Amino acid sequence: MKFTPELSFAGGRVRPLEASDIAAIIELYQHPELPGQRPLDPQSEQAQQQIERMIELSVQMAATQRGMMWALEIDGQLLGLVSAYDWQPSALRTMLRVDGLPALQDEHRAAALQVCMDFLASKYHLRNFGYQWVAGQAEAIKAMLQQLGFEHTATLRDGWRCSDNRFADVEQFHLLRSEAKPVPGRLGEQDNPGQNLEKSFHAPGESS
Amino acid sequence: MNWNFTAGDFQLRLPVTDEDGDAVYELLKDASRRAHLPALPLDVSAQALDDLRRWALRFQSREAACWLIEQQGQLRGRIGLQHINWMTLSAQLWWELDDDLALADMQQVVPAVVAFCHRELGLHRIEVRLRREATRHLELAQELGFVHEGYLPAQLEFEGDSVDLELFSQLAARV
Repeated sequence: MKFTPELSFAGGRVRPLEASDIAAIIELYQHPELPGQRPLDPQSEQAQQQIERMIELSVQMAATQRGMMWALEIDGQLLGLVSAYDWQPSALRTMLRVDGLPALQDEHRAAALQVCMDFLASKYHLRNFGYQWVAGQAEAIKAMLQQLGFEHTATLRDGWRCSDNRFADVEQFHLLRSEAKPVPGRLGEQDNPGQNLEKSFHAPGESS
Repeated sequence: MNWNFTAGDFQLRLPVTDEDGDAVYELLKDASRRAHLPALPLDVSAQALDDLRRWALRFQSREAACWLIEQQGQLRGRIGLQHINWMTLSAQLWWELDDDLALADMQQVVPAVVAFCHRELGLHRIEVRLRREATRHLELAQELGFVHEGYLPAQLEFEGDSVDLELFSQLAARV
């Protein structure tokens, strides 16, 4: 079963992670965006195992509505990852993050975020999307977030730990969607009361 | 490490699940004592026992801790940590107080708890998240030295309202 959909946007697409992505993801983590994040050693067996485990967990997270991860492809090349984490289904909110290679353009970063938010808003009724920008990341990310409609709401002093004794401030952004929140109803009152239970995505004719 | 300690005129101790339920129920059956978090008041005493059991389980995994604030054997309030993140060395501090606990009292309790967090637990950042309408507690947080950092919108639905939480923190180096 697939719990993470493929979504297209102008110039690229996001899609579920696959076992064949391991090498590309290890390459992605040679260029960590977060302060203090160490590059993975591409030669180590441990790195390979970590990424394998991450791909397995990406499926489990999506199946249990705890998170979702997409590979971000431009012209067939994996240039980044989009992650939804700290997903709180009852509170209709989640946090988002994009990790990208230096070649990933901001317009594609923004477009990928937008299609992922649109999907999570329509399928799971999420209304509150957060993004944490860590001091040291590219300033352009903040401008991109604001162009998408995110608002800077708080600065968490020393909210990110870079090493044993070094911390970085975190600027927290939120985007609140304007769609009406779902109205609770008793079983049978709505056309599709099990809409959130049907999480699997299949192409026509594809079996689970 | 001793998790029970003295804070000025007050004793802070971890609750005993099977013994402290009645006192906790008496404290928390008043809606105003938890509205700043926000959380619902306790309607029946069995809820207090359940609440204490949950804190005990969370404490066992060291993701949270709850202290009773006692003065001369009387329960005056509770204070605790939740969402302890041992990677980022941060945690969220919360409190539930009786109506008579004033700033001078909390100036004894909170610094002792924050110092415990920094020295004994090695935590760097202690957050407080409070409902925007909780004026008494917002003022208390600032008077206790917590720095206002902004707000987190639409964090939960509570009694039909979408709740924004104001965000405060103290850092280890500034204590």
